[in-house]
Amino acid sequence: MGIQFILCFNKQGVVRLVRWYEQLEKNEDTQAYISSIYKLLSSRDHKNQSNFIESFTEKTKLVYKRYAGLYFVMGIDTKDEEAIHLSNIHLFVEVLDAFFGNVCELDIVFNFYKAYMTMDEMFIGGELQEISKEVLLERLSYLDGLE
Amino acid sequence: MENTKSFLSNNSGVANSASLIKGLQLFIADLRLSTQIDDQEKRIHSELIKIKQQFESSGKQKDRNSKVSGYQRKKNIAKLAYIYITSNTNKLDDILFGLKEIIILLKSKVYSEKFMAYMTLEMLFQHESVVEKIESDIIQQLLIDFESTNDDHVALALNFIGIVAGLKNNLALNNELVDEVFNIIRSPTSSLPLKKRTSLSFLNLLKTNPTLLTNNLQRQDLWIQRIIALFDDQKNYRLMVSVLPLLTYIASYIDTTSCTRLVPQLVQTLYDCIMAGTSSTVNSQLSKEYMFANVPNPWLITKIVSLLNILIVSDNEVNSDVPGALYASNIGDDVLGKLRTSVSKVIELTTRETHDQMEKMVQNTILFSLINFSSKLDTTGTATINSIRTLCTLLVSPEVNIRFLTLDSLIKICTIRGKIAIDEVCVAKNLTLIIKLMNYEKDASLVRKIVDLLYVLTNTENIKIIVNQLIKYPMKSKINTDTKLKRDIAIKVSVLTERYATDINWFLEISLKLLSILSNSASQEELIWERLCQIIVNNPQLHKLACEEIIEYMSTNNTSESIVKAGAFILGEYANLISDKYAIGDLFNLFSDKYFLVSNETRAMILTTILKLYRFAPELGSVVIKFYQLELNSLDIELQTRSYEYLKIVQLSKMNNDSNLLEFLLAPIPPFNSKTNPLLKRLGNVGNSTPTSAMPRPLSRSTSNLSHQISSPTSTTSNFKPIPPASRSRSSTTFSKNQFEFDNTSTMTDSLHTKSTNVVNVNNNNASYMNQVLISDWQTSFSRMLSFKQGNLYTSPFLKIMFRLAPFSSTTTTNLTNPDNPYKITISLIFLNQSEWPINGLNTELIPYKTQGNPEYIITDTSAITSNTILPQKRVEQSFSITIRRPFDANTAPIMITRYTCGGSVNKVTLKLGISTLSPILTASKQINGRSSILTLSDFVSRWRQLRENMDKEGECQLNHLILKGTKNIETVKNVLNRIGFDIVDQTNIPSTIFLSTIIHTKSDGNYGCLIKINKNQLANDANGNSFDIICKTTSTGLLSKYIVDTLQYILSL
Repeated sequence: MGIQFILCFNKQGVVRLVRWYEQLEKNEDTQAYISSIYKLLSSRDHKNQSNFIESFTEKTKLVYKRYAGLYFVMGIDTKDEEAIHLSNIHLFVEVLDAFFGNVCELDIVFNFYKAYMTMDEMFIGGELQEISKEVLLERLSYLDGLE
Repeated sequence: MENTKSFLSNNSGVANSASLIKGLQLFIADLRLSTQIDDQEKRIHSELIKIKQQFESSGKQKDRNSKVSGYQRKKNIAKLAYIYITSNTNKLDDILFGLKEIIILLKSKVYSEKFMAYMTLEMLFQHESVVEKIESDIIQQLLIDFESTNDDHVALALNFIGIVAGLKNNLALNNELVDEVFNIIRSPTSSLPLKKRTSLSFLNLLKTNPTLLTNNLQRQDLWIQRIIALFDDQKNYRLMVSVLPLLTYIASYIDTTSCTRLVPQLVQTLYDCIMAGTSSTVNSQLSKEYMFANVPNPWLITKIVSLLNILIVSDNEVNSDVPGALYASNIGDDVLGKLRTSVSKVIELTTRETHDQMEKMVQNTILFSLINFSSKLDTTGTATINSIRTLCTLLVSPEVNIRFLTLDSLIKICTIRGKIAIDEVCVAKNLTLIIKLMNYEKDASLVRKIVDLLYVLTNTENIKIIVNQLIKYPMKSKINTDTKLKRDIAIKVSVLTERYATDINWFLEISLKLLSILSNSASQEELIWERLCQIIVNNPQLHKLACEEIIEYMSTNNTSESIVKAGAFILGEYANLISDKYAIGDLFNLFSDKYFLVSNETRAMILTTILKLYRFAPELGSVVIKFYQLELNSLDIELQTRSYEYLKIVQLSKMNNDSNLLEFLLAPIPPFNSKTNPLLKRLGNVGNSTPTSAMPRPLSRSTSNLSHQISSPTSTTSNFKPIPPASRSRSSTTFSKNQFEFDNTSTMTDSLHTKSTNVVNVNNNNASYMNQVLISDWQTSFSRMLSFKQGNLYTSPFLKIMFRLAPFSSTTTTNLTNPDNPYKITISLIFLNQSEWPINGLNTELIPYKTQGNPEYIITDTSAITSNTILPQKRVEQSFSITIRRPFDANTAPIMITRYTCGGSVNKVTLKLGISTLSPILTASKQINGRSSILTLSDFVSRWRQLRENMDKEGECQLNHLILKGTKNIETVKNVLNRIGFDIVDQTNIPSTIFLSTIIHTKSDGNYGCLIKINKNQLANDANGNSFDIICKTTSTGLLSKYIVDTLQYILSL
């Protein structure tokens, strides 16, 4: 049930954001795990292939989308429906875009902690907790202004 | 460069540049300048040393200037976090020295500092090495932050739990922490944003440790009620989005029953949301909240649907693993109607043109979510057919994601709905389309889905078309078919041909073709040729044909190893059958040619084959001996041993000129009797359920067809399907028999649950009935309801519940004097808000004593409460019916739980409803029983005697010295009994005695006569009241008279 992790990396496979909501399998190394996802996604044909990887592991499906040079990936439970998570990703990117104003990879690099702040205002326990862009932006600019 | 370009449209952001951390920005910029990996490593290394030094010196300085040191610490920790991220989590060990400083930062009272500490820890908590070191420090700080009056700090602590509690750590085991989190859900003063966060944080704790609730039943009940109470405010969709996943988890893993009563409410919200989202005029605030990107809010919809998916099971899934879920046929018509309208509205919506990417995505999200769900509810099949038609039009969508989801959806529906869905997908046009799609699709994962779909679709009619296409695919495909897909196709084809082929020659042809195109490596393929050999052995009419076909395949240059293996076995067994066409010597040459092209395993088989060939043609003796001699020095111990042994056997039989030994050793293989096709295990999960139950079984495949084959196994007609190994066919007969019984039970359960509505549970035991704790003075209202047609059921300062009992009147008959169902009554309830505040989240749950195993009474026609909210001084209503199937103990009358919130308090009222076997008499108007039927005293006496003669003491119940308090005399008792509807013998001869008669109606057991004698005990006048003796006789040998006396006791004691 729910999102197991959120990942964001660029075309070269450099990680920009990583958030785990569930423990990886025993002995699974985070770095090896991430790079296997990168390898898989970067080899895909974005015109002719879907945004879903059905059985990445026994318990995980991937839903991803590429925006300019950045991949946004969510690992979800194999029983979950893929489509809504694609909307989750898109909403996240839209909020980032509105928050930073024309967000680009550099914004996420230099302000990674603000990107995390955005993520945490949206996703808790692997579930989306707020969907109104207006509410989110108001909250984010308030938090950002706190000392 | 691409990374300076925005992902999306133009926007001016709200991020505050004043909150930047300069040192951090410089460090990041620096790192980005060094293009060489070595340079970056150096830069990181020197920065780490610098940070370490600063941490050490700040420790010594004793916080001379805490503001500066807090900022410094935040900056340094942010750098560590950046290093962790940018090294793809590889540099974890290099930054661990900072953990202590993170804990110090966590204690800061400055938000941005506290945030940075929490954020960094949230990332690092995936690593057990981090958790071990600092977990207890963090729990301490979390407890402090939960107590904070600053909501922002509480929110940070909640976030932390919401993010990391699902990882491996002990947060969910800490009771103090759990209580703190739950307190926020419970408290009426918590703010909305905090409540939203909390319900998801609590979910995370619960997922990790479900015993939080399950270990303590009382807590479970109470906490779940509190959580459900969050749902009461139906207008607050934002809170709902957060609470729904929590409820879904509870419904799936902890307590389904307590959530089922939300079904009408959930459906209403879903319906409102879709209606608002699809209507062209959007104005009201409410409809605006239901919208997203110009379409209905997809999050609300998918979350509601996934909860409904748990709460409602399709009528087909009799053995659902969710106890307490509702059967689809138990859902009320109004609820079902709303669901159906929602589905068709959404289908309509997808035809709307849109160019907005988000909008399109959302449209489809909703569509698939609802279509997948709706097939569960469909009783007539029309909705399924409509859904399938819509889906089939989406198969040609240019969007690959939509095609993916469409296929997924089709597989699900066909698996759940079976024949009706499959037939619709299989119309020629669609099938051609799907096959075309398979050949042109460029995404391997989609091809896999198409293969799965075709597998589900296959039946005896289309088997040839589908299998021929599947088998051609690996050669035809546009993409590089991976071996996994190839293998998958091979196994599926093999299973399908065995299951559905009706033409045995075709079966053999396909199976061999399949073997011929298999690659030679995978071990799974062993199973395919082995299975084929088993089937050939068990079907004598195939022996000869198989030999001929195999020889043809083996004569080509590139024979696959599977064919050689099958050939080695089959030709070894049956070569004599074709010796008129092929000389055994030629076969020997064929195998000795192949021998050097195959693996050792196959070689070992060929060695055996050679021996078998020798049995048919002893004249080959010398070449066979030579052949074995070649392998005597083989490095492979198996080949060497076999050659040696076989050589000895050949030599022995040659020497003695005696073939008996050979004949004995190589006796014909007996039929195989492996029980199931081992290939089924390799299928993976096509559809959701286990392979056997997921298999679409063609209805036409009758047992008679099968037994016909068994009775004539030697038949030479080619128009038979292959007979699988003997005992398997037996087991498949029993299977169909089981299937038949299984269907029987399902219809039985269906009829038991016919049309009863929302809250009749599928619970097997009475645990939920027995575990209810009734309110303290439940007996008063219970007795009142047993003896009056209407009255008060419950009164509190907030809520008053009134009841009214009436004979059931179906719409078809208005003839009250002769009702169709004298054993059925209708109960109407009125809920009145007596307080000054609105009552929210009002709902009721009816718990019958039992629902399965031939229940005594059943609750049906439950209408939804007219509204879940009651404004002050207003009322709402609900009604339901009870059918009395056989006499029952009034103590097992249904329990009703009413839940509501009012002015911040959460209330639960558990009552037993006063329904007994006598209730129909009470509700019937006096005329029905008919004055004319009243007995005279002499009639009564003669019947009484008759009963005593026929039944003796059976069916009699006697109760002596029933003390009725107050001044109840014989006249008042008489009045009460008259009001209840008993026929009272009009007599004055015998003083202080009442003679009663009546007819008891039940649905299953029919009618019973009933005679009662009550007399006032003159001698035993008690100080507290009068004493009565009751004797009841009935025509039932069961406990009916006892039930009646018990009920009278309740009634008269009132």
